[in-house]
Amino acid sequence: MSAVSPSTAPAWSRWWNASGVTRLRREGAVAPVLAFVVFFVVYVIINPALLTRFQLQTAANLVVPLVLVALAQLVIVLVGGIDISIGAIMSLANVVFAVQLETMPVPVAILLSIGVGLGCGLFNGFLVAYGGLPAIAVTLASAFIFGSLAREVLDAPGGGVTKEIYLATSGELLPYLPVSLVWLAVIAVLLWLLLQRTSLGRHIYGVGSNMESVRAAGLNAKLTKLLAFGLAGVLTSLGAMMLASSTVTGDPRSGDPYLLSSIAAVALAGAVFTGGRGSIIGTILAACTLGLIGNLLFFARVNSYWQYVISALIIVAVVGIPVVWRKVAFRVKGNRS
Amino acid sequence: MSTVAPPVGNAAGASGPGGSGSGSSGAGDSPDGSERNTGATGRSTFGSVIARVPRAVWPLVAFLVLFGIGGIIRPNLITVDALIGTATFAIILAIASFGQTIAVIQAGIDLSVPNTIGFSALAFLTLVGPLGPFGAFVAALLAGAVIGFLNGIVIAKLGLTPIVTTIAMNGLLFGVILLAFNFSELTVTPDFVIAMTSAKISVLGLSMPAVLPLGLGLMLVLQLVLSFTGWGRSLFVVGSAAETARLAGLPVDRIRVVGYMLSGGLAAFAGIVIVGYYQQASATMGASYLLSSVAAVVVGGASIFGGRGSVVGTVGGALVLAQVSTLVAVLNLGANIQQLIYGVIILLVISLYGRRRA
Repeated sequence: MSAVSPSTAPAWSRWWNASGVTRLRREGAVAPVLAFVVFFVVYVIINPALLTRFQLQTAANLVVPLVLVALAQLVIVLVGGIDISIGAIMSLANVVFAVQLETMPVPVAILLSIGVGLGCGLFNGFLVAYGGLPAIAVTLASAFIFGSLAREVLDAPGGGVTKEIYLATSGELLPYLPVSLVWLAVIAVLLWLLLQRTSLGRHIYGVGSNMESVRAAGLNAKLTKLLAFGLAGVLTSLGAMMLASSTVTGDPRSGDPYLLSSIAAVALAGAVFTGGRGSIIGTILAACTLGLIGNLLFFARVNSYWQYVISALIIVAVVGIPVVWRKVAFRVKGNRS
Repeated sequence: MSTVAPPVGNAAGASGPGGSGSGSSGAGDSPDGSERNTGATGRSTFGSVIARVPRAVWPLVAFLVLFGIGGIIRPNLITVDALIGTATFAIILAIASFGQTIAVIQAGIDLSVPNTIGFSALAFLTLVGPLGPFGAFVAALLAGAVIGFLNGIVIAKLGLTPIVTTIAMNGLLFGVILLAFNFSELTVTPDFVIAMTSAKISVLGLSMPAVLPLGLGLMLVLQLVLSFTGWGRSLFVVGSAAETARLAGLPVDRIRVVGYMLSGGLAAFAGIVIVGYYQQASATMGASYLLSSVAAVVVGGASIFGGRGSVVGTVGGALVLAQVSTLVAVLNLGANIQQLIYGVIILLVISLYGRRRA
């Protein structure tokens, strides 16, 4: 499709390409985007009050940490890895942020928390890229290590997160828009620019999709992997700080639930776990869908325990339907290539 | 911390030659070491002897070293009672990790182990009333096998990755657990499960909880199945080279599905054992086995890429982890340090023999 020159292509085709639909399709993000649209419409029909200020803000504060951690997991998955320690990194960055706020000025606490996330990511990345060890085993080990460090820093919920920090990150700073969505948008756009418009971003996609070609082309695949893990660590620490701010507390176990749900969100976004394919917007919307299912069921007066069952079924359906579709199409049409 | 770090280093040092030796002896060596005695020529005698030692022995060696170090620190730790105490703790973790071992051997992973444990345990307690203890036991095991069957079908037939499939299954099961069971009624553990797990029995004149011989017996049966049955052998082939196995005419999908069924059934069995031993059940009773079951399998010498591993090794891995927690408890270091040492041990083990085979 991209080989067709603009002058001969029909108008709809040009619009199709220009609007990014082709890219979404190539990155496997059409299904999660459609799933989110359907989900959002159903949500607003059942509960029109979502669009009021208070509910929108509550919903945004609920999903933003999950979205950020899912984006971190996405970056790791793009280079063909998986991060089992992501929940532990989140817990550690969360408690470091909360504890430092007790004594340090806010910018220092933020920088320290980001530094912790970066350090954890680089630790994993170094062992994976330069040690040649499997990411799943390395991050399994570091999940134990980072988790225990988090409980050493703070062994029970607490810390010095103040009301002002809550207002600045998750509260009513802006007239209508939930401010956490603004922070998310800033981070997501920066990440998108980094992945799509810089050489590092192209290398990250390249390393995941074809390691050998990247190496043959003379790019530094190991350094790219290391930086990808570091970037994921930074994103995780941002998610951790948003969580600490919106709950106004630091908690050494707060990251644990995010391990499985971050992987689930990335899977729902259509990313390929062997690397090289995955969409930022798809991941954001997939995480929003998964994060809000419990709320939707609450407003629909369904037992909200169904959220776990429904999330699982959505994942299997959205991830599985294209696979089944391809198999059926293959049977019907035969192998034409 | 500083008093425990050297023992860990020593244990790894002891297994070092084995790790590098078996790594360099080629990719063709079989998981139980039976085919290793070819190709060891032209090397020093010591090296060839070391290279022939099955990998499952190294975790056991590491455990014995740790056990000895415990004895040096506290002489009263070298007693049969202390050994039985550690082994009991280890065997429960090992039973929970047997299914994970089988999933990892076939190049998969089973992240639905935690809630399979919880679901089967709660289903067992719920069904004891209507079906009787034995009927409930069979039903709970069947439930585990059905969970595994669904995992296996989705992974083998739909081609979803094992990680995604089993995470989705884990979430789905958590919902089912919360929706289906009335926790306030589930307090009575049937006598026969207590007799099977926590009751003290006498073996060769030693008093030990019944779960210990039970777990060792299960280990023996599973190892024989893995090493000597056609299905067991083909599981390793599927794990190391699925495409080759398919071209060679093996029913890869069926082998996979049966593997996940066994994995689910074993996790269900672990759930019943845990209920019997601790005599309490909750919705999140399996949560701690998510990472520790994978840890026991990895420390036991299995390759996370599949094609390599053994249930004997998994028991060894669980023993190492259990002995660490014993040492940590004796030295009063706290549970955090225990987790930290688990992480360091896993890092040491994978750096010794965790690299992807070329």
